[in-house]
Amino acid sequence: MNESESQGKVVQALPDLFTWSKDGVHLMSARCGSCGTFFFPMYHEQHRPGCSRQGIEKVLLNREGMLVSYAIQYYMPPPPFKTDKDITPYIVGLVEFPEGIQIAGIVVSCAFNQLKLGMAMETTTFTLYQNEGGQDIVTWAFQPMKTL
Amino acid sequence: MREVAIIGVGIHPWGKFPQKTFVDLGVEAIANALVDANIEWNKIETICSGIYIWGGNAGHLSGQYLASVFGETGIPIVNVYNACATGASALRLAYLSIASGQVDTALAVGVDMSPEGFLTAKSDNPRQDRDVLRWKMVGMPNPTYWALECRKRMGKYGTTHEDLAMVKVVLSQYGKENPNARYKKAYTMGEVLNSKMVCDPLRLLEVCATSDGGGALILCTAQKARQYTSKPITVAATTVGSAIYGDPTIRISALSAPAKAEAPLLSESYSSSQQAYRLSGIGPEDIDVLELPDNSSWHYLQYLETCGFGGEGEAERMLRDGETQIGGRIAVCPSGGFSSFGEAIGAQAIWQVAEIAMQLRGQCGARQVEKAKVGMAQTYGLMGNSGTTILKV
Repeated sequence: MNESESQGKVVQALPDLFTWSKDGVHLMSARCGSCGTFFFPMYHEQHRPGCSRQGIEKVLLNREGMLVSYAIQYYMPPPPFKTDKDITPYIVGLVEFPEGIQIAGIVVSCAFNQLKLGMAMETTTFTLYQNEGGQDIVTWAFQPMKTL
Repeated sequence: MREVAIIGVGIHPWGKFPQKTFVDLGVEAIANALVDANIEWNKIETICSGIYIWGGNAGHLSGQYLASVFGETGIPIVNVYNACATGASALRLAYLSIASGQVDTALAVGVDMSPEGFLTAKSDNPRQDRDVLRWKMVGMPNPTYWALECRKRMGKYGTTHEDLAMVKVVLSQYGKENPNARYKKAYTMGEVLNSKMVCDPLRLLEVCATSDGGGALILCTAQKARQYTSKPITVAATTVGSAIYGDPTIRISALSAPAKAEAPLLSESYSSSQQAYRLSGIGPEDIDVLELPDNSSWHYLQYLETCGFGGEGEAERMLRDGETQIGGRIAVCPSGGFSSFGEAIGAQAIWQVAEIAMQLRGQCGARQVEKAKVGMAQTYGLMGNSGTTILKV
């Protein structure tokens, strides 16, 4: 939990999908102890056929992954997608994590001409809109790894 | 199992018909099929109807609503939904009803009137409906999924923007000749490449629209088929497939995919087509005409490989060399495809099969594939479901 969230300024648009820890934002997954499959969202199980489905544990995915595909969306989707303003064109990226799962998310802090398959990405958040109480309603997102 | 034939096809043309109801479209399609089959309504022994998800109670009981217009006769009516493979699922059920010996005739029908604009989530509970997540948290309309897969393909095989545009150029020439198509304009390469970017790398003219339309098929035992028609079309196989664990496709409505592929891309369509090949004893090399689900230009290319018409990464070359055009090795989407029709969820698989039946009868005029003897209709649906039908004369 970061400072803003602890002060109630930041609210996840839906719970149990991502969280903050000391080193930043992590996607929340679960791993089946029997078939080894990672789930996202963690509450949507997808086992290998014949798996005993025993020993499912919640895990936080690595923060860092690799961009394996991306699309640039030029039209605003209908509700329930909600943002403060028209955010088009925006990038949707598919990021592969070392655990062996690819996850889709909005890509931020990235120029279109910077996009390259295989580039290193990290997990972050994106503010969809501010609610009436002045809180930021956020979703998970990805951004290019900052080079030191 | 008894041999089954298609004796009648009926279509309500694709388009947008805000003044009509889904029942209007279905009634026209069924009435056309009855005339085409030269069969009386009261000879129909079962109805397998696609559920029309936007039609409330009536849509979920579409078969009963449609039957009541023609007159209720007490026969078994079953309504099915399998996303865009809904029509294929209705057809398979109709086929099995006859093949099993329970009935001698059956009607398979599918109708759809798409809501305006993008399709969106139909519930608001993310715990049970993943669809809520993809819309609310990521803003991913269906074309985003297609674009993600298309980009992967471009990276892997070097697919060019010209390849994607050429799919539309080819299909629009066919759609222009099809009275049932919604879009009847032939496009040039320049026009397609200059059309608006919808979801990079896919342009407006490289993704299909959502349309209204209806289709009906009347099936009969092969033995009795000649009582009704001089040109029965044999159903060599009609199958439904679901996804296989380890499919690397980022599947519509999902937020994740496995990094390591343990199954083919579009495994649901691989499954249905492989079942059809096995059951019919017919392989891709035997097929003269193919309707595939060209929801986008990427689908056109990928389905050629998923269904075994070319090896991995070969589709672009097949397209460029004219192998997939009318007159080529295999005529692909001579109807004009979804590119010229647009999606009509519950209806499209029925229409694809009707088109193949008309091709095998030689009724397709300017878009006719010469000497077509064996044809295949392939569809796919959201959340890993698919249908394949192989017809022969």
